[in-house]
Amino acid sequence: MPPERTWKDSIALQIGAPLASFALLVGVWALVIELFDIPGYVLPTPTATFDAITGDWSTLIEGAWITFKEFVFGFVAGVLVGFACALAMAQSRLVQRALYPVLIASQAVPIIAIAAALVIWLGFGLAPKVVIVALIVFFPVVVNVLDGLSSVDRDMVNLVRAMGASRLRAFRTVELPATYTPMFSALKLSATFSVTGAVIGEWTASTSGGLGAYLLQANSRLNTPATFAAIVLLAALGLIAFLCVVAVERWLTPWRTRSAARRWSRSRRWQARTRSGAPAVRADGGAVAGGQPPTTA
Amino acid sequence: MPKLEIDGVTRRFEDTVALAPVQLAVDAGEFVSIVGPSGCGKSTLFNIVSGILRPTSGVVRIDGTDVTGQTGHVGYMLQKDLLLPWRTVLENITLGSSLHGRVTDDELERGLALARRYGLGDFVHHYPHALSGGMRQRVALMRTLAMARDVMLLDEPFGALDSQTRLEMQRWLLSVWQEQQRTVVFVTHDIDEAIFLADRVVVMSPRPGRVREILDVDLPRPRTLDVLTSAPFSALKARILHLIYDLEMADAA
Repeated sequence: MPPERTWKDSIALQIGAPLASFALLVGVWALVIELFDIPGYVLPTPTATFDAITGDWSTLIEGAWITFKEFVFGFVAGVLVGFACALAMAQSRLVQRALYPVLIASQAVPIIAIAAALVIWLGFGLAPKVVIVALIVFFPVVVNVLDGLSSVDRDMVNLVRAMGASRLRAFRTVELPATYTPMFSALKLSATFSVTGAVIGEWTASTSGGLGAYLLQANSRLNTPATFAAIVLLAALGLIAFLCVVAVERWLTPWRTRSAARRWSRSRRWQARTRSGAPAVRADGGAVAGGQPPTTA
Repeated sequence: MPKLEIDGVTRRFEDTVALAPVQLAVDAGEFVSIVGPSGCGKSTLFNIVSGILRPTSGVVRIDGTDVTGQTGHVGYMLQKDLLLPWRTVLENITLGSSLHGRVTDDELERGLALARRYGLGDFVHHYPHALSGGMRQRVALMRTLAMARDVMLLDEPFGALDSQTRLEMQRWLLSVWQEQQRTVVFVTHDIDEAIFLADRVVVMSPRPGRVREILDVDLPRPRTLDVLTSAPFSALKARILHLIYDLEMADAA
């Protein structure tokens, strides 16, 4: 396949196809209301929902921002704690045996029950929501990072150890990067659900606002268009959360989607620099590593 | 003084003798192949020389120095290329330097020169998944070369390649070896490969793993493909086949 063609195809695919399917969804939504004559207080039309969004834009966007912040803080906290936990568990069988059942049990407790307790402990502000989101992200991160660590080829570790790497260096070179791929699989799955977690937190009790709180208020007033406005924004937020994770993944794991390193990678910048400034690289084979000149040179 | 000396090395795993006393001296710049059926202890010997495994008895010396059970004295390469998927070709070649701190511009330049010299110049910034099996093994060998060890152990490095690529890689390895003047110990189960590459072929046999015979390969260098069908080559091959398979039949009888 010619490269330019592929590039255009992928742009069309990546932007055009999702837009088309969203348009179709909105079309079906409008059509269903039209066909079955559904009243506006049961299901508002797309136009009514759009009006509800634009009409209360500043409040909604403020709420979305609060929910997004809860998501980001909680997500980052969950990843950090989960990663640290997985590393500790990978170091010792004892720690792993001791912690795993506790972790599984913690996942069996309904998040809504924990949310109630968290309000008692942490109040109505940002903190309990962040903790809920962190709790949701935490477990998949632990499981997948552990999987990544155990999937590392022992020969690979032996090789770098035989090349003189310290244990820590071998870990950083071979084992740590091997956790990125499974970790991002976990993060993509939990990204959207984290937004739900933030909403659950806001529902339990909130004085700090957020889209969840907005949704609850609109619902209690039977303001269906406003409810749907919040739903649409929550969906958008979930999408943004997911895209954020994908963007970070692409940035941190370029080898998964690219065949060559980026132009601004260190070695490429180095090569560009040496080409323009310093004399050309010797091509006579006389450049053998480690001060051991070949006798043929 | 031999470059590499394996002196009375044995290895037992519980009750089984994996390796009966092995005596082998390899000169500097020599290319030695070790050939034998599975279970003949060639991989055990490989692991002992590389320092990953300790022998039950015996000593491994490099330049007369006892290096038994110590890693880092030889460069080694396996059938698996063991390239790090998140590193580019150049970063994989300079892996050894990166393990001791930041890779210097000088080390990068040497890595690049190696890659260019041996046909990887256009791929230095590619990730391993974008390369073919043969190219990946080339990168693995560049990485071993860049480690700057006089002795290189290669354990069936081309075992996973198709026969055409394998032949191409063998010829390429010979040209690299001739230029770089390293001492090479090459483990393989492919008799043609063992003869084609080596100055001497060490034939090993199983139960217990031991050196059966060491044969000189008196074929002119540089070797071309014609060597593979020459009379001395066939004679050597017949001799090795006889050593390996008559023995097996005698065992079975």
